[in-house]
Amino acid sequence: MSLLQEEREIILNNEYVDTFDFAEVKEFITNASKDLFISHHFKKKAADKMLVQPRGGFPTYEKQYALYEFFVDANVDVLPLTIDSNTRLNDYGTAKKMLRLSEENDIDMLNGYPLVNHGYRTTRKMITHFNKPVSLRHGTPDARLLIETALASGIFEIEGGPITYLLPYSKNFPLDKAFLYWKYVERVCANYSDLNEPINRESFGPLTATLVPPSITIVIQLLEMLLSLEEGVKSFSVSFAQQGSMNQDIVTGAVLKKLAKHYAEEINCGDAMINLVYHQWMGAFPMNKDYAEQLINLATVIARMVSADKIITKTREEASGIPTKEANAKTVANTQYTLGILNGLPNVVDEEEEEILTLEVMAIMEAVFNDPADTLWRKVFNSIKNGIIDVPFSPHIINHNNMITIRDAKKNIRIIKRGNVPIPDRCYAYEKGQCDLTKDTTSIVNDIIHDIGIMQ
Amino acid sequence: MKVVTGVVGNDIHVVANRLIDLSLQARGYEVFNLGVNTYLEEFFDAVIETGAEVLLISSLNGEAEGWGREVPRLKAKYKKLDDVIMMIGGNLVVGTGNAEDIIPRYKGYGFDIVCHQVDLNTGLDSLEEMLIERNLK
Repeated sequence: MSLLQEEREIILNNEYVDTFDFAEVKEFITNASKDLFISHHFKKKAADKMLVQPRGGFPTYEKQYALYEFFVDANVDVLPLTIDSNTRLNDYGTAKKMLRLSEENDIDMLNGYPLVNHGYRTTRKMITHFNKPVSLRHGTPDARLLIETALASGIFEIEGGPITYLLPYSKNFPLDKAFLYWKYVERVCANYSDLNEPINRESFGPLTATLVPPSITIVIQLLEMLLSLEEGVKSFSVSFAQQGSMNQDIVTGAVLKKLAKHYAEEINCGDAMINLVYHQWMGAFPMNKDYAEQLINLATVIARMVSADKIITKTREEASGIPTKEANAKTVANTQYTLGILNGLPNVVDEEEEEILTLEVMAIMEAVFNDPADTLWRKVFNSIKNGIIDVPFSPHIINHNNMITIRDAKKNIRIIKRGNVPIPDRCYAYEKGQCDLTKDTTSIVNDIIHDIGIMQ
Repeated sequence: MKVVTGVVGNDIHVVANRLIDLSLQARGYEVFNLGVNTYLEEFFDAVIETGAEVLLISSLNGEAEGWGREVPRLKAKYKKLDDVIMMIGGNLVVGTGNAEDIIPRYKGYGFDIVCHQVDLNTGLDSLEEMLIERNLK
């Protein structure tokens, strides 16, 4: 038996899991409907239809089922399964208790679907009934058991990664462990990819959604993509969120797509399918629900301008709590409508900005590759530890927090203090040149506060 | 002037914490930022370790209320903390409350400066005033 299989048996031998039947799961995936695989939809995207995916997860089976019915009525392309916070922290005991309370009292005691507690036999009934691709949304550093359960349920898109699910969400979960746990996930996804259509992995580009410069976003997208492809994953989505400037989003999309292809080919994985995902605004939302809808609509336009393969939606209720299924379905219908009328968009290219951003990303990537460690994940680990990669507003203790960013007059995010990140001098001078830096530090801090809340 | 700061309890809201750090540095303080999810013991240990003159605790999700009650008991276990200026700010209750009730309550817990939903610069100005008052600046 391989080491991986030994580890799988240990992971799946858990008091919260009914007997996990490896052979049956393998047979299920081999014969599963092609419609369940988002990679299949990406592949046949001949009609140039951007896939629309909302967010959403409820504790009970019945409520999740009802949510899916609403989504299907709203002409959804990809269904979400958002996981509750206890499961994300591997606390299946609490999730079980809260699930039971939710079932008995008809109030939601969890902020998502506790997939491990429901188990794959139950969940699979729902997934195969709707026969649409489902995307697993969580935020789990150790997602081994969760991902095994998801794949066995018929969920063939897995979001996350060791960096993007750790640096924005955790203060002190050990980053080196996260890399190893995600390596397991990549391998299991890669192994199942040979049976039918490929399992799609997706990185979480929004990170902290707070003034993250595009160079940092792209570097992290590329590194998670490489870590996944080198384990054998054949379909991968890079992603980013609306940043506040349409031009900067278009430039980011173009550079991200170009460099994803470039680096995939560098490691001889050019045959893998790379998709682009765009998140509607992920920062603080306006309380005014009509304004929230305008913001969402603007994001849909930009998604088309960057030629995204999939858009992930927000709702008009974003500022006031967990959105209802009605609000969620409304966004899906509205987004589909906007996509339908967005015809004949111009092709915008900003060569100067693209060049600057490309140089920045390639300089950081080179610094990561030049780390003396023996494997890519260790190089990336060291690069985060020594500040070559620095994510603004990450709560994690390993993150340096020495990079400072601000918006210029056109609302582009600019780096005004690079910390230990190897931004080339020419690019650094360009970035700072776009901003008014004659102000004192207190005024700059006030500007940053303003820039964070820019869409409110 | 040394300041220890951080967000108390199981509170992951980091944005204001980073801005407090930047603002304090801009005002010339030496900052020891413990970040989010910090327990009271860690704050007091850090003050002893660094010899800080100021301890600035913040809270966004409001759980400071629960932690505040523990301050007098815990502080008594540490020697040499009596001269430290204790400041707390952010959203200091879960849900809503008004400052007239909240400020005296937190002063009772041993805080010298209490800022409930006060603008960052206003809060830091009141710290400066207290430092001048106590002839520390």
